[in-house]
Amino acid sequence: MYFWKCWRDTRSFFIVFLIIAAIVMPVAAIVCVGTHLVEDFGTSAFSTTFGLILTAVALGLGAVGAIHEFADKTAHFLFTKPRSRAYFVWAGWAVGLAELAAVAAVNFLAGWATLSHYSKNPFHSALHGSMTAQNFLDDLIFCIWAYCLTYSLTVLLRNGLKGLGASMAILFGLPFFAAAVRWRWHIDLPLFPGLPLGSLPLVVSNIIWILIAMFFVLAAQLVVERAEM
Amino acid sequence: MNELAIDSKDLTKTYGSIRAVGGINLSVPRGAIYGFLGRNGAGKTTTIKMLLGLTRPTAGTAKVFGMDVSAECMAILRRTAFVSEKKTLYPSLTASELVRFSRGFYPTWSDSAVEKYARLLEIPMKQRFEKLSNGNQTKVWLLLALSQGADLLILDEPTTALDPVSVDQLLHVLAEDGLDRGCTIFFSSHQLEEVERIAEYAGVIDRGKLLLESRLDDIKSEFRLITAAGNSLPTQTSPQVLSVVTEGNFYRYVVTKDADSFASGLSQNGATITNVATLSLREIFLQLVRKEQ
Repeated sequence: MYFWKCWRDTRSFFIVFLIIAAIVMPVAAIVCVGTHLVEDFGTSAFSTTFGLILTAVALGLGAVGAIHEFADKTAHFLFTKPRSRAYFVWAGWAVGLAELAAVAAVNFLAGWATLSHYSKNPFHSALHGSMTAQNFLDDLIFCIWAYCLTYSLTVLLRNGLKGLGASMAILFGLPFFAAAVRWRWHIDLPLFPGLPLGSLPLVVSNIIWILIAMFFVLAAQLVVERAEM
Repeated sequence: MNELAIDSKDLTKTYGSIRAVGGINLSVPRGAIYGFLGRNGAGKTTTIKMLLGLTRPTAGTAKVFGMDVSAECMAILRRTAFVSEKKTLYPSLTASELVRFSRGFYPTWSDSAVEKYARLLEIPMKQRFEKLSNGNQTKVWLLLALSQGADLLILDEPTTALDPVSVDQLLHVLAEDGLDRGCTIFFSSHQLEEVERIAEYAGVIDRGKLLLESRLDDIKSEFRLITAAGNSLPTQTSPQVLSVVTEGNFYRYVVTKDADSFASGLSQNGATITNVATLSLREIFLQLVRKEQ
C-alpha cells in the first residue's frame, strides 16, 4: 500500500547510501593498511563520515520521500483513497525515518567494526581524544531535525528541489543569523539541534529539538489536510 | 434508509469572486446511472470534487449515502470509486503495480474483476503508466475504479481519449456489470450520445447552475419542437418557450411542458401546426444552454 509506494520511491537512493555507509570506513582502512593513519585519525574520520553521510541522507530522503502528489498531479488519486491525509504525510515520513535510522546503524556498525579490527581502542585516538556515544547521538538528532525540516518544506513548497534548497538555506543560514543576533543584541541563540539549549540538560535539549522537528511535520500535515485540489 | 445515493442542497463553491458552483440541488437515486452534463467549465468537476472531499463547499450541504461529505468523508470514500478528469497516475508504476497499490485500501477489492477488465479492455499490465497511450491510461483508471467493488462510481469524463470500440465496451460494462451489482453510477460528460445510451437520469449544469434534472425519458418527453405556419405569431421566449426561430412564414418553437396546449394556442391565433417533433438529448442540451446564455 502506501508504505510500499514510499519504499519504492526512495529505495534507489536508500540502497546507494546504505552501500556507501557500509563500505566507506572499511575501504578507507584497507587503503591505509601499513600506516598509522587508522590509529591516529580513524576515530575522527569515523565521526566525520558518519555526520556527512547521515546529513546527505537526511536531506535527500526529506526531498525524495515527501509526498509529491501535488507536483505529480496525483493528489486527486491518492486523496480519494479512504485514508486520512495525515496518514499519508506521516507514513512517508516514517519510511524515510526508518531508512535514515538504517543507514545510521549500518554506518555505525561498519565503522565500529573497522576501528575495532584495526585499532586497539576504537573510539579513542591519540590526536583527537575520545569519542562517546553522545557524539553520535548528537549527529543523529541533528540529522533527524534536518530530515524533518526538509520533508516539511518539500511538502509545503510542493517540490523536492525547492524543499531541499529551502532547507539547506535555513541550515547554512542559521549560523550567520545567530552570529548577527549575537553581534547586534548580544543574545546567544541555540545554534544547532544536538547542542544544549541554554542551561538545559542535554537530554532535555535533545527532546525539545526532536519535538521541534515533529512540529515541522505536523505543520506540513495541517497544510496538506487543508489543501484543496 | 435514504433512497438517494447523492443528495445536495444549495451546494456552492466560490473561488474569490468566481462562482464555480452556485447552489445546486442534486438528487441521484441509488442504483441509477446518472449523466451529469455540462460544457467545459460548467462546474461538473468542482461538484464532483466537493462530493469526494477534495475541495470544501463554500455553502450548502451534500450527502452521499446519507453521509455528510464534510464530516464523514472517509466512510464515503470507502464506498466510492472515482475516475478523475485528469488521468494522471504515478508515472513509474505499471498497471499491475497500481493494482497492488490500490488493492490494500479496499476490503471489497476484486482481483477477478482486475483480470476480467484487464482482458476486456486490453490493458498492457506490465507497462509503466507513463509509457501507456492516453487511451490506455484512461483504461487503467477505469480498471482501478471498476475493481474496487464500490457502491458508487463517480466518473469524471470517463471516455476521454478512448477509441470508439473502447467507449462501446466501457458503456456496456457500466450498463451491465454496474447495474447487476446495484452500483450507482454518476458520470459527468459532454458526450451526450454516451449519456443518452446508458443513463437513466440526467442533470444539466451550466455556469454552476443546475438547469435541469430528471429521468431521461421524462426530459425527452417534456421537450417538443413545434413547427407552425402563420402570420405574426409570437416570437418571445418564456419559461415555457426556450427558443423561437422564424423562416418566412414558418415558426419553429422549442417548448417545454405542455406542448399540446401551446400548439392549440397557436392554432387559435390562426397558425397551422405543420409538425410536432421530439428532440434528442443533444438538441435539448443546446437549447437549455443557449437560453441560459
